Amino acid sequence: MNKPLQVLIVDDEELARRLSMEYLRTHSDLIIAGECETGVEAVDAIQKLNPDLILLDIQMPELSGLEVLEVTGRRSGVIFTTAYDQYALKAFDLHAVDYLLKPYSQQRFDEALTKARKLLSAETSGIPATQALSQLISEQSEKMQRLLIRDRGQVHVVALDSIEYVEAQDDYILIHAAGKSYMKTQSLSELEAQLDAARFVRVHRSFLISLAALKSIEKASKDSQVAVLHNGAQVPISRAGHERLKNLLN
Amino acid sequence: MHPILSDSRRLLVYIAAWLMTGIFIARLLVAADLTNWTYALLFALPLALLCGFLASSAYFVCRSLPIHQRSFSTAVMVFAAAAMISGLGWLGICYGWNKTLAAASEDMPVLNMSPHLSILFFLAGFASYLLALLAFDVYIAFHNIREAERREAASRLLARDAELQVLRSQIDPHFLFNSLNSISALTAIDAAAARTMTIALADFFRQTLAIAEQEKISLKEELRLCENFLAVEKIRFGKKLMTEMQIDPETGHALIPPMILQPLLENAIKHGIRNLPKGGTISIQALQRDGWLHISVRNPVAITPANSTGNGLGLSNLRQRFFALYGEQARVSWQQNNEEFILEMALPFERDNNE
Repeated sequence: MNKPLQVLIVDDEELARRLSMEYLRTHSDLIIAGECETGVEAVDAIQKLNPDLILLDIQMPELSGLEVLEVTGRRSGVIFTTAYDQYALKAFDLHAVDYLLKPYSQQRFDEALTKARKLLSAETSGIPATQALSQLISEQSEKMQRLLIRDRGQVHVVALDSIEYVEAQDDYILIHAAGKSYMKTQSLSELEAQLDAARFVRVHRSFLISLAALKSIEKASKDSQVAVLHNGAQVPISRAGHERLKNLLN
Repeated sequence: MHPILSDSRRLLVYIAAWLMTGIFIARLLVAADLTNWTYALLFALPLALLCGFLASSAYFVCRSLPIHQRSFSTAVMVFAAAAMISGLGWLGICYGWNKTLAAASEDMPVLNMSPHLSILFFLAGFASYLLALLAFDVYIAFHNIREAERREAASRLLARDAELQVLRSQIDPHFLFNSLNSISALTAIDAAAARTMTIALADFFRQTLAIAEQEKISLKEELRLCENFLAVEKIRFGKKLMTEMQIDPETGHALIPPMILQPLLENAIKHGIRNLPKGGTISIQALQRDGWLHISVRNPVAITPANSTGNGLGLSNLRQRFFALYGEQARVSWQQNNEEFILEMALPFERDNNE
């Protein structure tokens, strides 16, 4: 017999967690590693405990189940629990990850566990699951209204409206929003692809600005220009960036 | 559409009536010993028909002066002038027709158009046009009333449809499935609590169905619905969800549109209480002041931006419903500061007379 699997239960409703625990009791090869009430707690627990399996509620306050996966980079060993969710159902049709529709029976729960065990033991079959989850997460973030940033064990939630500009550093980006700066390990191009192109412009190889934050465009020297933002910051504009900006403003 | 000219059956009846009138005039002319029957009929029938068509134009005069927009004096003037013109016109035609008939044949017992007879012809033309004006006025007034009734019935039907749709979409499927999940969990932990929750859930749904049939309900009924809803939610969220109600006893009998408060509580939980690790208290206040019913709902909110968009859709929905029911007479406003969401509404205080 292999070593017991560690299970993390994430749900904001206590009764829902207790139901999962009750159903888990019949499985001696599983150990409850912990339970989390919020998405933020889940992010910490996943990082700290690295559980084999997560029973993850999708509709949670603060951070949704999908956002938890986005922030932690976790892509396998997940069983979603949900009352009703249109996005999830679409992705689940790929049969790569399993989901439990509330309220669910012990029998259905056991089936999901069996499937998860199989996926966990066969490393190779984890690949389609990873892809399916990645797709699900990227679909979700296309509709995003906010940015999730993990920084020194804390999750910051930044509203897209509050972002002024983003600056690329060596292998991370610096997001300036509402007078604060946040570091995120992501490339600027990746972020640019996620954001609404009508609201955010790449004005320079290493700068992206929010149109709403733009105050004016000023000449810096004979043939270079800077974007002056409402908060006073000055952002360099490249020639290609100027073209893009002009197209958007006209 | 002209009520007579556009309807062939009515037109036939109308023509017949005027031919009868023509015969009647001929009869009078014979009786007054002014001419013989042949000439009287030859003279009066075409003239009566002409008079009939002339009178039918009165409809357009009435239409040009809509009843609710006209002043009495203009109406009197316009009607008198139209009848006068018509009377004079008819008199002229009578003269002309008499002359034409006289020219056509020599041995006709032509009418002698004395001033006395002229005045009679003029008065007949004047009076029939005036009568036509009044008759069309009455017809238009009745038509308007019928039309208004029909429109009102149609709009009531539309409003009802919209209302039902609103109600249907307002019951959140998450609420139902999550509640059932909680009951499922409770069966093994606390069977009595599972039963309590099942009953509260059933009561809530039964009540929403009963309420959906009504246009307005008393605030007391709406609060009962809210209590059933909160009973379910309090089992789901435990100590996190607290409520506080300050209801002026006077306001219990006030009439409000159904299901305006319950969705607000649902919002307060979804966008407020649920996002707070320690939960919070939703306060509901209702009071009566100067003929107005004031209701407010406040709940604490988290500072982090919400991950559920769609906030505000339900609220503008509420605003639309109020507008459909009260026009400019009701007001809904909401605001959010860092810690609290406040919704306030004011509507005309209507007392429920059934209690």
